[in-house]
Amino acid sequence: MATTAVVPTPLLALPEGWTAEKDIQIIGKLSGATQRTLEPVGPYFLAHARRARHKRTFSEDDR
Amino acid sequence: MSGAKVVAPADRTVIGLTFGNSNSSIAYTVDDKAEVIANEDGDRQIPTILSYVDGDEYYGQQAKAFLIRNPDNTVAYFRDFLGKDFEHIDPTHNHASAHPKEVDGTVSFTVKDKAEEDAEPSTLSVSEVATRYLRRLVGSASDYLGKKVTSAVVTVPTNFNDKQKAALIAAANAADLEVLQLISEPVAAALAYDARPEAQIEDKIVVVADLGGTRSDVAVVASRGGMYTVLATAHDYEFNGVALDKILMDHFAKEFLKRNPSAKDPRENARGLAKLKFESEATKRALSIGANASFSVESLSDGIDFASTINRLRYETLSRSVFEGINRLVESVIKKAGLDVLDVDEVILSGGTAHTPRIASNFSNIFPQTTRILAPSTNPYAINPSELGARGAALQASLIQEYEAEDIDQSTHAAVTTVAHITNAIGVVSLNAAGEEIFVPVVPAETAVPARRTVQVAAPKDGGDVLVRFVEGNTHIKVTQPEPKPKEDKSAKVEDAADSDAESDFSDDEEEEEEKREKVWKIGNTLAEAAVRGVKKGGKVEVTIQVNADLSVILTTREVGAKGGVRGQLSA
Ligand SMILES: Nc1ncnc2c1ncn2[C@@H]1O[C@H](COP(=O)(O)OP(=O)(O)OP(=O)(O)O)[C@@H](O)[C@H]1O
Ligand SMILES: [Mg+2]
Repeated sequence: MATTAVVPTPLLALPEGWTAEKDIQIIGKLSGATQRTLEPVGPYFLAHARRARHKRTFSEDDR
Repeated sequence: MSGAKVVAPADRTVIGLTFGNSNSSIAYTVDDKAEVIANEDGDRQIPTILSYVDGDEYYGQQAKAFLIRNPDNTVAYFRDFLGKDFEHIDPTHNHASAHPKEVDGTVSFTVKDKAEEDAEPSTLSVSEVATRYLRRLVGSASDYLGKKVTSAVVTVPTNFNDKQKAALIAAANAADLEVLQLISEPVAAALAYDARPEAQIEDKIVVVADLGGTRSDVAVVASRGGMYTVLATAHDYEFNGVALDKILMDHFAKEFLKRNPSAKDPRENARGLAKLKFESEATKRALSIGANASFSVESLSDGIDFASTINRLRYETLSRSVFEGINRLVESVIKKAGLDVLDVDEVILSGGTAHTPRIASNFSNIFPQTTRILAPSTNPYAINPSELGARGAALQASLIQEYEAEDIDQSTHAAVTTVAHITNAIGVVSLNAAGEEIFVPVVPAETAVPARRTVQVAAPKDGGDVLVRFVEGNTHIKVTQPEPKPKEDKSAKVEDAADSDAESDFSDDEEEEEEKREKVWKIGNTLAEAAVRGVKKGGKVEVTIQVNADLSVILTTREVGAKGGVRGQLSA
């Protein structure tokens, strides 16, 4: 997407003594998803279909 | 799609088409901009009607005019019959034109389409009627563009089944037209808006209300990064443009009888009825623009001419039940999608009846002020509702015209279109002005995967080490009941209401103190925590969430402008 949204409300300060390997701690995973049908219409869908059919990732597509 | 007409990409000239029960429309693109074409009569909304007079074939507005003088040889309101068995069609709208009947198991019409006086009438299947009509559309598009149109993207309602789609493709092919793709009407309308150069691609929930002549179709669409997923649809065949015509027909027939007490009711003979309908529709359209409109018919009944006027307020009062039916339809489909009006970012009004100012202003009352109501009377940037479908179809046609038919088939195949959509939103935690933790959505619910979103979030005022907590979130609607009123006050209000009768007509619920409803985000399940260290004073933190096709998630964050950063991956 063209412009990056800017959120004005601030993030939290890091609690005193917080540590994690490589500064990130994985805690959970996604709770769910539903199979639905994308409408095969528009330029963004065509980009999606291209990636899906050629098994390409976003970053490969960016290049 | 075996046996379907296929044209090589290099040989194509493409258009977008809407093919409605009431009207059809043609568009093409120039420099990536969609334009709707006027046919040789100057019409951009071309009545979906064929008429035969002395062996000549008329279509569009000319055929519509023959509904008065030559109804038996005029075929109208037939699109929805394609691909249907006779016992499943609704012939309500065919009373005043050629009647559909069953011939060899297919819906057919019998018309005199030959010049010779004594020629036998022809029996035309609905497919043949569609083919002849589409051939006329393609002909006028070819004339306009100066080259033979070979291919089209055509819009269809969301409830068109495979048999109906196949019948439509076959009818188009028989008219020598390749169907590149059938796309659904509400999505065509959404694309027409999103393709405007000034449009911002954003994540939004869109309601498309397509209000036509014989049907009203509403869809709730999750628009995510320019991709569309239909969450729910509803279809209605009662609250439509024809119902509004009928209200004016009855109104003017009664006026006529009041002025001419001894005359016959114009509704009781076919020609009087057809004239009433024709002129009522014109009056109705005029009321979408002006505060008053005239109505005038020569020899309406018993040779008596009739002229009258009506103002918009009167019309709106008479039409209230139809407008309310449309409101209920919209509310029901939002509920069906499991959403609330507060979740809707945009309402697109599409179709001819969507020109009606009252319908748009009613929507403004149903939805919160923050919802964009895209209709000519409520938004100066609105696109003509009658042109949205054709424009969207033309844009899609230009996007895929270079594709081999086989590539189009593959890209639109369920293997590509059926994908997981996340159930909850994913975002980060931030602090509101009161110092409470709040959820900041980054990837909204109902986003198809794979998906990637980036936002920048302010760091704490003084910078330093920052905690980025990745969480799921969802919304609920918080309802706050109004403070109960003191008694005296209440009775005074009731009297007031009785006094201002005319005004209270449409604003019943404003008389009561309204409860306050707001959408509130709730922080759910924590996914991960990350530290971004040493952020400068007044700095910002960039957060990227990428959900892969297998529902694993890659999280990255860093100070805006800084190198490196933190990266982690959640397993699926
Ligand atoms: N300016 C206007 N104001 C009010 N109603 C209008 C206006 N223009 C067209 N209409 C009405 O819109 C209806 C036609 O809608 P549309 O052109 O979207 O047709 P359609 O999709 O073929 O309809 P359907 O398939 O539902 O019969 C007609 O009832 C017509 O009178
Ligand atoms: Mg329509």
